[in-house]
Amino acid sequence: MAINKNSNIYIIIYTIVMVVIVGTLLAFLATSLKPQQEANVLNEQKVSIMKAFGEAELNFDDVVTIGRITDGEFVAVEEGDVAAIFSLLGNRKALTEAQNELPIFQLEKEGTTKYVLPIVGKGLWGDIWGYVALQQAEDNIVITGIVMDHAGETPGLGAEIATDKVQSMFTGKKLYNAEGEFAVRMQKGGAQNEHQVDAITGGTKTCDGVNAMLATSIGKYESFLRATEAEAQADTECCGECCADEANVELNNEEE
Amino acid sequence: MKLSKNFTNPLAANNPVIVQILGICSALAVTVKLEPALVMGLSVTFVTAFSNLVMSLLRNGLPSRIRIIVQLVVIATLVIVVDQFLRAYMYDVSKQLSVYVGLIITNCIVMGRVEAFALGNKPWDSFVDGLANGLGYAFILVLVAFFRELFGSGTLFGFDVLARFGYTNNALMLFPPMALIIIGCIIWVHRSINKDLQEK
Repeated sequence: MAINKNSNIYIIIYTIVMVVIVGTLLAFLATSLKPQQEANVLNEQKVSIMKAFGEAELNFDDVVTIGRITDGEFVAVEEGDVAAIFSLLGNRKALTEAQNELPIFQLEKEGTTKYVLPIVGKGLWGDIWGYVALQQAEDNIVITGIVMDHAGETPGLGAEIATDKVQSMFTGKKLYNAEGEFAVRMQKGGAQNEHQVDAITGGTKTCDGVNAMLATSIGKYESFLRATEAEAQADTECCGECCADEANVELNNEEE
Repeated sequence: MKLSKNFTNPLAANNPVIVQILGICSALAVTVKLEPALVMGLSVTFVTAFSNLVMSLLRNGLPSRIRIIVQLVVIATLVIVVDQFLRAYMYDVSKQLSVYVGLIITNCIVMGRVEAFALGNKPWDSFVDGLANGLGYAFILVLVAFFRELFGSGTLFGFDVLARFGYTNNALMLFPPMALIIIGCIIWVHRSINKDLQEK
């Protein structure tokens, strides 16, 4: 019996068989490769964080303490919660909306403590994100390193934010000005003070996005950062008995 | 005899990129560096070779009314296989290639060879034809990427080459229009050698 290859029945059966075979094959493949793919994404996050710390040669798992900022306090996360932190870092929408229980990474080395915070925002064409490393220095908090990436900024203009050349300019910038306001920004026409960084010519909209990203993302950690700052000042400026009092006064002033 | 001609033709005299001018868009996008260009070329070779093989095996039982759909399903499946493997084992390169791996589905070379060759030829011949066309594409990609990386970044496969002679990188080489100009030059050289390709 000859089969009519253009009959509807034949075509329907042919399609069903084809889809089942292809579907099974792809489902099997996707499931079996998933662990490896997730490990790649995780590794990339860790490498970016170490790059922000400026310690690319160190191993993340050996030196970094993963924590959360809960109500302005640093709380180290437990082993079982680490996966949740990294999945939050991978989910830019959830990270933007998060207001409490914010992820943070701590690195202690040679008596200094550095923190890395994730930053996330919008550029001209799409999302921009990255990590910024902060350190207490004298009476202020300075940026010691930044790593930024983007989804689709204009090559040669906005996309320059992903280059070492732009990122290295942020190193050493002080977060707060004399009035105590957050002052780090990419300034059109060139940096004018110790808080500002040269903006990218032709990439103004992306730079505006970077400014907004830094202000909002770092702003969420402000109560924690201020507390660190006050603590450090208390340590350096006071002595003996007066220490506690002065620290309290200082904290009160901050609150006003 | 015929088989070897099937293999060598697409590499030079009937190259899919520089003679048939197919697959140009990805040739412009992924040729800034040699490594992604090479991976892209090999990915396309894998897809053309196996889509030709599979379609040639299916050709006798294939209902002609839905043959384009079947071709698309086969090609798309192979592309997803490539994409998943790259994500798992060559993560950095897959990030550089970004959407262009997925766009292999729409690469004219793949469907062109299936439709023009695999549906009318035996599986082994079709496989060789697909392999050769993919390699012809890969060869042009690597050639373009060689010039762009060498003069644009002063490196080859990421190793410093020109930088040690005090060469200043030419950023123009990194922009997409330069790929088009280089392909134009390759076509020019190719047509000067193969005079029968010149239009009268």
